[in-house]
Amino acid sequence: MELFGIWVAALLTLCIYSFLYQDNPFYRFAEHLFVGISVGYGIVLSIHQGLVPFALKPLWAALTGESLSGLVKLIPIGVGLLFFARLSPQHVWLIRYPIAILIGFGAGIAIPNVLRANIFEQTRGTIEPFAAMHAGTLSGFGVLEAILMVAGVVCTLTYFFFSVEHRGPVKWLSKVGIAFLMIGFGSAFGNTVMGRVALLIQRVDFLLGDWLNLIS
Amino acid sequence: MKRQVPLILCFAFGIVMILTQFSPHSFSQGIYEEVISWTLIISPFALVLATATLIQTHVARIQRRTDHWQYSFVVFAGLITMVVIGVPFGPQHQAFEWLYTNIQVPMDATMFSLLAFFIASAAFRAFRARTFEASLLLITALIVMMGNVPVGDLIWNTVLGWLPLEDGASKARQWILDNPNLSARRGIILGVSLGIISQSIRIILGIERSYLGGGD
Repeated sequence: MELFGIWVAALLTLCIYSFLYQDNPFYRFAEHLFVGISVGYGIVLSIHQGLVPFALKPLWAALTGESLSGLVKLIPIGVGLLFFARLSPQHVWLIRYPIAILIGFGAGIAIPNVLRANIFEQTRGTIEPFAAMHAGTLSGFGVLEAILMVAGVVCTLTYFFFSVEHRGPVKWLSKVGIAFLMIGFGSAFGNTVMGRVALLIQRVDFLLGDWLNLIS
Repeated sequence: MKRQVPLILCFAFGIVMILTQFSPHSFSQGIYEEVISWTLIISPFALVLATATLIQTHVARIQRRTDHWQYSFVVFAGLITMVVIGVPFGPQHQAFEWLYTNIQVPMDATMFSLLAFFIASAAFRAFRARTFEASLLLITALIVMMGNVPVGDLIWNTVLGWLPLEDGASKARQWILDNPNLSARRGIILGVSLGIISQSIRIILGIERSYLGGGD
């Protein structure tokens, strides 16, 4: 079964790489199979990691008399079922209920978490080296890095600040901000390319090693 | 009923999620965990609805005999196989794991590795150093890419061996990632986070209602 699995994986890999030549039936087959398998995988995981432990098990416990608190789970199950109102044109407005709950939940959970993780922590990380500078424990190069960090953050934010016209000093600050952004995008691009190349090496290694046994 | 109740639900869930995160009391934490479990119950229904829409789309493709309609059967085959095995027996079942390991994982990796080729051709067009900003992006990406692989340090030590800095490629990459790149990312994160918070407040207060859609 393992050998069969390697052959299946290898043939599907080649089907996908055949797209490098041009669009063809082998690629289309693999592409559509990938969509079907991925959606099926997502459904199975969301049912077994969401619906079963959080709804069906407590509900079953309530029905068998173990713990009646599980009956509360009928409410989210009922709300979730309202999603299927989408399939009936007369009752399509009912879909707003579960969407409103999920949107409200997402917005409510975002505010404190984003404030804490993305605003307070990032600001603290930016100005924290100045405490070390004040204590005299930061090297000369460290001081330079700390100043560069603050300058980069301020200039990048200035570039995205549209409440004032970008003229005079603001224009120059935003120009420096663009330079920092370009370095950021260049780093992101470099890392992305290397990530993709690593995947390519892994697939070629699989084809030549596991499948064809040409390399050990 | 059609618009007011969803707005009230959105407000209530949003406020509850904010308040419960600021209170360490067991009652508050109990509500917090219950609401999280509710969303984990409701979300799979959205996925099932999305799958129903996918099925509708492919059934329509088959009925209308549009281009490559035959491949819609492949989507169904992949989807049904995963669901029929995964839903009753769980994701730990041997057959489900076999499908995941030998079909989904290799195809996922191959699809992403395919981007290595397209990203290379895109880079060739994008990385023409016509302006200062483009040059900055090009140089940063090159340093990050060279610093990611051992050959980068080998080239550095061979060509720039007379410099008092060993393995300069990987060190330069790390310095770029830790300093100018991080400051640009912090600027972006701060800007995006402020946007998320303001949008979340608008949603909770019912100022932003686009998620309700059109109609009554």
